Amino acid sequence: MPQVRILAKNFMDMVAALPATKLDKLYENPFICEAVLRSLPPLAKKYALQLLFIDSPISAKTMEGWVLADGISKHRVAIDRLLQLRVFLEEIDRKKESTYKLNPKFQGNIQKYLVYGGSLPRQPMPSNVTVRLPTSVDLETYALEQWEGFLLQLISSSQVEKLTSFSASMMKFFQRGLLSPRENEAPKLTENGFQFLLMDTNAQLWYIIREYISTAEGRGVEQMDLISFLLELSFHTMGEAYNLNTLTDIQRSVIKDLANLGLVKLQQGRKESWFIPTKLATNLSVSLSDSSARKQGFVVVETNFRMYSYSTSKLHCEILRLFSRIEYQLPNLIVGAITKESLYNAFENGITSDQIISFLQENAHPRVAERIPAVPENVTDQIRLWENDRNRVEMALAHVYEDFPSKEVFEATCDFARDMGGLLWEDTDKKRLVIRGEYHQDMKDFLRRQK
Amino acid sequence: MAGHGERGRPSKKHKISDHHRNNPVVVPDTDIQSDDDDNARGDSAAKKWDFTKLELKADHANRPLWACADGRIFLETFSPLYKQAYDFLIAIAEPVCRPESMHEYNLTPHSLYAAVSVGLETETIVAVLNKLSKTKLPKEMVDFIHASTANYGKVKLVLKKNRYFVESPFPEVLRTLLRDEIISQSRIVPPEGSQGGDAFTISKTMGEIEGRHDELLNEADLAAVVEEKETHSFEIDPSKVENVKQRCLPNALNFPMLEEYDFRNDTVNPDLNVELKPQAQPRPYQEKSLSKMFGNVAGRARSGIIVLPCGAGKSLVGVSAACRIRKSCLCLATNAVSVDQWAFQFKLWSTIRDDQICRFTSDNKERFRGNASVVVTTYNMVAFGGKRSEESEKIIEEIRNREWGLLLMDEVHVVPAHMFRKVISITKSHCKLGLTATLVREDERITDLNFLIGPKLYEANWLDLVKGGFIANVQCAEVWCPMTKEFFAEYLKKENSKKKQALYVMNPNKFRACEFLIKFHEQQRGDKIIVFADNLFALTAYALKLNKPMIYGSTSHQERTRILHQFKHSPNVNTVFLSKVGDNSIDIPEANVIIQISSHAGSRRQEAQRLGRILRAKGKLQDRMAGGKEEYNAFFYSLVSTDTQEMYYSTKRQQFLIDQGYSFKVITSLPPSDSGPELNYHSQEEQLGLLNQVLTAGDEAVGLEQLEVDVDDIALLKARRSVGSMSAMSGANGMVYMEYKYDPSLSLHPHNNTHPYIHILHKHAPLSQTSCGVHAHNILYYLTRCEISQQNPLE
Repeated sequence: MPQVRILAKNFMDMVAALPATKLDKLYENPFICEAVLRSLPPLAKKYALQLLFIDSPISAKTMEGWVLADGISKHRVAIDRLLQLRVFLEEIDRKKESTYKLNPKFQGNIQKYLVYGGSLPRQPMPSNVTVRLPTSVDLETYALEQWEGFLLQLISSSQVEKLTSFSASMMKFFQRGLLSPRENEAPKLTENGFQFLLMDTNAQLWYIIREYISTAEGRGVEQMDLISFLLELSFHTMGEAYNLNTLTDIQRSVIKDLANLGLVKLQQGRKESWFIPTKLATNLSVSLSDSSARKQGFVVVETNFRMYSYSTSKLHCEILRLFSRIEYQLPNLIVGAITKESLYNAFENGITSDQIISFLQENAHPRVAERIPAVPENVTDQIRLWENDRNRVEMALAHVYEDFPSKEVFEATCDFARDMGGLLWEDTDKKRLVIRGEYHQDMKDFLRRQK
Repeated sequence: MAGHGERGRPSKKHKISDHHRNNPVVVPDTDIQSDDDDNARGDSAAKKWDFTKLELKADHANRPLWACADGRIFLETFSPLYKQAYDFLIAIAEPVCRPESMHEYNLTPHSLYAAVSVGLETETIVAVLNKLSKTKLPKEMVDFIHASTANYGKVKLVLKKNRYFVESPFPEVLRTLLRDEIISQSRIVPPEGSQGGDAFTISKTMGEIEGRHDELLNEADLAAVVEEKETHSFEIDPSKVENVKQRCLPNALNFPMLEEYDFRNDTVNPDLNVELKPQAQPRPYQEKSLSKMFGNVAGRARSGIIVLPCGAGKSLVGVSAACRIRKSCLCLATNAVSVDQWAFQFKLWSTIRDDQICRFTSDNKERFRGNASVVVTTYNMVAFGGKRSEESEKIIEEIRNREWGLLLMDEVHVVPAHMFRKVISITKSHCKLGLTATLVREDERITDLNFLIGPKLYEANWLDLVKGGFIANVQCAEVWCPMTKEFFAEYLKKENSKKKQALYVMNPNKFRACEFLIKFHEQQRGDKIIVFADNLFALTAYALKLNKPMIYGSTSHQERTRILHQFKHSPNVNTVFLSKVGDNSIDIPEANVIIQISSHAGSRRQEAQRLGRILRAKGKLQDRMAGGKEEYNAFFYSLVSTDTQEMYYSTKRQQFLIDQGYSFKVITSLPPSDSGPELNYHSQEEQLGLLNQVLTAGDEAVGLEQLEVDVDDIALLKARRSVGSMSAMSGANGMVYMEYKYDPSLSLHPHNNTHPYIHILHKHAPLSQTSCGVHAHNILYYLTRCEISQQNPLE
């Protein structure tokens, strides 16, 4: 598994990092093959299709001949990616030269796809059974509400009105790396955690899904099953209803978790129950860099350090609270102030000034977003200056020695420390001295000898 | 800096609205914002106000404001209804901060008092507020408005044909008043038989309309407002007016009286035949402030305060008011220079003849001519309690005896309350108009102003005036000057506690930054620069080292005039050093750069006043307007030594301006790192020399300038005393600047005088009366000052 780090990578990177046997097993599912093919960079896509109906290996040299000299770097990237994903399998032939051929399972599935056409994972239910399906607007609102509710619970469970049904241990898994637990206190957000909150929804979702997958086995779910189910889900049509009884037992338990995250909406009819995928689910396999649809900003920062956020979201309020003082909460406005204290608090938690500033800039309300700069310069300058202020003092370990039995011992000790170059401060009247931390052992030895 | 914008207002306000719910009697004094925010800050930090349960109206996006139960109001400035909403809010609420996109206001008993006194009625206030609000109005706020306005504006004191009447549309209120012994004794009962003992005189007047707000109401609402009204009144004895007013104040019967002057019907006092010259075209905001003063249908004048930023043309408002009332006008200014300026403004804007206006200062005692005239004088001249010359006594006697149509008071925020009381008790006026740029006081005397003069009638928004090109667009900067190692070491020493200020002001890095800025603005931009220093030691040291003229407390009137004249007209004098005497009233329209090297602790008002010195707009109007050619045309630099008390004060000082929408850019790299010996104090040797100079100077010499013997400046002195804690915080406890007085027994020879200035003086002193040029001139200023302090200030 890749290391748990906050990186805006996509689903396919995770797939690529799977061990060979697991990966090969994944390609048994035609939807995975299709998703992988879609995710490839253009040149890699072309190679995969070029080799689709060729059964014998092609030497690396031959392929290199296909590209012009200035395309060689793109070529390498494409080949690397194909190998990583085990779409291409590398073999060394008798002349000790590299050759490539398509992964047979992948090849078979894509061939079938080309010849017989694609099929849907499952058929949507007829509309006479599912009478009142939510509109796409309602569905999107629902998805975002679920997602925000989850995030809010993630960062501060005290603020949430209705908790998701994730178990406490599950939540702990999600919080790992984002929050650091503290004794007798609510866990506090780490630097990564803050960065996480500042990411866009797709990136956040991906992070959580990855955690969800990586802990699947602990819940008795096979990772492969989970990955293929999630990828499959992204091939469903948003807003359509799919019967729950088409799912396996494991998938049914997974779908409940996904409903908690807002990926699907569960509905129950008279006889049947069904799930409706939301935009979050259908976007899951999309490369994250593609998520161009930007959220509308909501924050206005004024030159007097006051901050007005047009938002009804509790999550926003909690995010803002991380670095500002919230003063008023109105039905659709949050009023706060960025103060030295609130920022010091944020810095204390490992949040950096750059993170705060980019959050404010990226979420600038349309009224001020066109203004340059969107956040007043004096405010951004000051945030940076306050951060710098904290870095002016370096802490170094030091030790105080006091209660010397006699003036002589005190003076001898001072001399000894001075000779070593470790004496920082002395007070002859009160017989106290301070030495550098690294000389502590030498001093102890010296004092023991004095006895 | 900043970010300390809020001063626990939420919590405070909340207490008050709670208080109202239980107890309908309003005690306005408790509500006025304490100016010293330290005590109020902090405790509120953790508090927040959750008003998410307020019900949003369906069309909330079209409405410009949110109103909270604790009295706080938020206004979107980009709303199409902004202008109307602003005019309305400024009439009913106190602005808290007014930056670009969102304004905050507080509804306070005082602001509501002001609203009522300009003719707004409780129901109108609630109705318009409800119209503008995105949410349903919180019940607490509606209750608060009702409770606060229950008594206010119900009673008027009208001076008609020189008879005083207490007027009210509510006879039951008058009856309540008459139950008071003092008031009933003051009443002049009409002769028996006319209307019976207890009846009031009844007259009919049209209801007042606050036109601009009514357009926000629908017709049904409007109809209620325009209804004809009956007014009941009784007459009171003119000699007991003050007592009656006293009894009506909030601490007694709590029916504060609005004062109105029915000047059109005043046939007793002679008219003053002046009018505005045709070229005197009041700007929209000046017009608006005047309309608040003369808003009545009946052509009466209200007393009150108009708040306009410096440079926005307060004098035209004052002159216009005088020209409308057209009766004798007594104009009070803070010092002699500003008296001259007011006289000049009267002649500039109105058709007043020389024989209709006279000035009365210690230097200039012009006698009254004619029976109606404008008299310009200082507060001190009127309030002076000591012995006066015969000539002055006569003039004062005339001021006392005359019945003034208008008492025009400049810079009301700086005048101590007791002096106001005195002035107001000495002069008999029908109408009082106070003018100021900043209605903040470091003491808590705003309340006094409210009841001594009247409510705030209008307050302009600084940013709107900047955008309109009416005042300069100022780039404010805070220049961080790191303390040199040696200066900082001394600064930290306990034994130097009295020298802290001198040490951080004389910080060589600050000096170099200042010198750099002066050179830059003089040479690169051809600007005119004012350098402000409260610390006299620093003022002198800087000015002499840099060869620039300076003005401070004991610089004589003539000297000031001369220096200012040179600054205005000579291309060689582009920088002038001013002590805090330059904070107020000295009108220096040419200056467009301010460099502040030392200041009075955390005084927000001083900061605003100083900024005001360069607010007068220059250049072409179209260049200045938003989107015009020049982005900034004035510069305000505040130089602070890092890691010293100055940093803390600096944040506090800027608060008022920041609330008006100004922002301070922090500059950390001045002078540029590649600057060398072309600026003074480059070498360590020079720096140590300077340090030595500071350390060897007496503690008294390096302290603050105390304007003890001030002639007629009412500077910060009084205010400072009332907040003793301020000087304690600044470490300036017990630090008194001893004004150097000329002692005839000492000659000006250096060996006779150990005063530090003299040392400096002689270091630089090729003294000769004949040599000209700026340098020698400096010395002359210095010498003349010594002579002047001999003179008796008032005579």
